[in-house]
Amino acid sequence: MIVESKLAPIRKGLLEFLVLKIVGARSVYVPDILRRLAGTEFATQEGTLYPLLSKLRREDLVKYDWQESDAGPPRKYYRLTDAGRAQLAALDEYWNRINHTIADMGH
Amino acid sequence: MKRISVTVSLNRSTLQFDDAAYARLENYLAESTSLLEGDPDPQEILSDLEQAVADQCTRRLRPDQTVVTLAELLPALEEIGSVQTPTASVAPEQATRGASRPLQQVSEGAVISGVCQGLARYFGLNVTALRIFAVLLLLVTGGGVILVYFALMLLFPYAPLESGVQPLRWLPAKSRALTEFLRAKLSLATS
Repeated sequence: MIVESKLAPIRKGLLEFLVLKIVGARSVYVPDILRRLAGTEFATQEGTLYPLLSKLRREDLVKYDWQESDAGPPRKYYRLTDAGRAQLAALDEYWNRINHTIADMGH
Repeated sequence: MKRISVTVSLNRSTLQFDDAAYARLENYLAESTSLLEGDPDPQEILSDLEQAVADQCTRRLRPDQTVVTLAELLPALEEIGSVQTPTASVAPEQATRGASRPLQQVSEGAVISGVCQGLARYFGLNVTALRIFAVLLLLVTGGGVILVYFALMLLFPYAPLESGVQPLRWLPAKSRALTEFLRAKLSLATS
């Protein structure tokens, strides 16, 4: 519990990175993202995800298309823009560097 | 006659709500709107949330049920969660820190002991306006406010001095020393 709360701000900050990763793997709608994160350390809710996706869309990192669904109204399917793809690659690389730094520390 | 349900349009869906569920939904959306204050595009997020509520409630309705009640709405809202803006992670903490700050004297920049500055900071007032008011009170009460000031000076704790700023000016430093001296005397006399 103490360990979890110590890294809480980091988890919060990493959510954006993870959402970019999920959206980058394939075109998804919000329940897909929630399902992917559920049960992980990054489990989140729609109340958190919609404002984040709105921010990412404003920053031109993701975009969405409407797709008809069998049940109910059309759904927003999100995917990365070129800028989003570039950002994800940069974040991935930076995250790897951080991981190496952490692994090397204390040797 | 009794009104049984309200027809609610939620983004691209239309649903029937009973009065209690409608009131709760209105409350949730109003709360979300105020949490999204400052967001450049709240309308989009609110539409998404409305759609989420509609989807979640529809999923929870029994096949023979047409009206959404609290039994469906409350778990739906629980699952959706309240709005968290991506940038608001630090702000609420600062807000509570400000609100829970006790009444203190602030020595730095004080004219006498820092009572006015402390009151101004606690109540969110302009310190100059408060000082002018205090001087007016001094004239009106014929000096009686001096006693009040003195009492507050003894009662209010001093805010910790911020490190790295210039030393206190003469009067605030003297007031602080005098207060500490008197407090020591008083606690000796009462113990």
